[in-house]
Amino acid sequence: MSNAPYDASPRLQAELAQLRAALRGVEAPPIEEAALRAQFRDCKQAEIAPVGRAGGSRRLPLAAAAAVVLAVGGALTVVALRGERPVPVPVAAEAPEAAPEAVGAFQPLLSSPGLSASASYSVVRVRIPLSAFAAVPGTTQDGTIEADLLVGEDGLARAIRFNEADALRVSVADQ
Amino acid sequence: MDETDPASGDTIDARLLADIAAGVEQAFVDLYRRRHNDVFRFAFAMAKSRSFAQDVTQEVFLNVLENARRFDSRKGSVRAWLFGCARYVTLDRLRLERRWTDDMPADLTTLDSDESLLADQRVERLHAAIARLPVEYREALVLFELQELSYAETAMVLDCPVGTVRSRLHRGRALLAAMLDEGEQGAPGAEPSLAASLQAREVCS
Repeated sequence: MSNAPYDASPRLQAELAQLRAALRGVEAPPIEEAALRAQFRDCKQAEIAPVGRAGGSRRLPLAAAAAVVLAVGGALTVVALRGERPVPVPVAAEAPEAAPEAVGAFQPLLSSPGLSASASYSVVRVRIPLSAFAAVPGTTQDGTIEADLLVGEDGLARAIRFNEADALRVSVADQ
Repeated sequence: MDETDPASGDTIDARLLADIAAGVEQAFVDLYRRRHNDVFRFAFAMAKSRSFAQDVTQEVFLNVLENARRFDSRKGSVRAWLFGCARYVTLDRLRLERRWTDDMPADLTTLDSDESLLADQRVERLHAAIARLPVEYREALVLFELQELSYAETAMVLDCPVGTVRSRLHRGRALLAAMLDEGEQGAPGAEPSLAASLQAREVCS
């Protein structure tokens, strides 16, 4: 090969051609077919999994949590101002899912379209910080309260039941 | 079908990609067999590191699994599409490695200094110089000169007009020549210095 300056294009082109030929001889590591197939299956499973999650378990608690933030303040206000428990609403799905420590009955949420004995509901247990009830007079203390939400098939919360309703009433009454 | 004919090769690739999108496992294995060396060589030419090229190849084919249905044969061949994926993965990884370096030229850090896959010393030196080119010139040279893509295919991979490709190739060659000239004037086999690279870049611009 000549030692002509590199600014002469033919020399550079010749060496580029040599590099091109040398690169053709560069081989990737041997193929591991089993690993490739496993990668394919993993990827296909991952494509399916999020669809299942989106329609099911993850959406329900999020919708319920959003609903409770909007509706629970209003419900509590009603409880606090009346000074008595609301009239329990009979719900077909309530009995088998009622937790042993539950002390209240489900109260329909203000914005709820109502309950139907023929519809099916899910019960979602949540813990709500008392500070979230700042709109209710006398509920400024720290801590949380446990509640069950009755959630319809459309993901909307229909009713709420406070598992520690007595404690809440006491804390409100004490203020 | 004659697989030595590029057009029929493209047709086979496109069919395999469609089958991958439809969930055919064997199509993925077949496309990998046909094209993984192309991707590997591109990444190796860009970074001059086998381990880097291996990582890029794996990531590109993972992208193939996830994005096979997005391929549009009207925009170019599967091979060019794969180079496009490889380019993005390569640039991402080069940027990532740059984050962990201080004052060294970014791309030098990707070199495996003890790797001498290319026996000829001049070729080795040329490859080292290419691996130190600014990335916009390097990718154009690697695709056009080393992977033998056409101007149009290179433009598609780089997502820029053909005129820009021509301009980058011209400047890249000039920069490469300046780097090699300086390297030749120094110690035998010495890699061109960063100063030469920067000086040559000024000449180009």
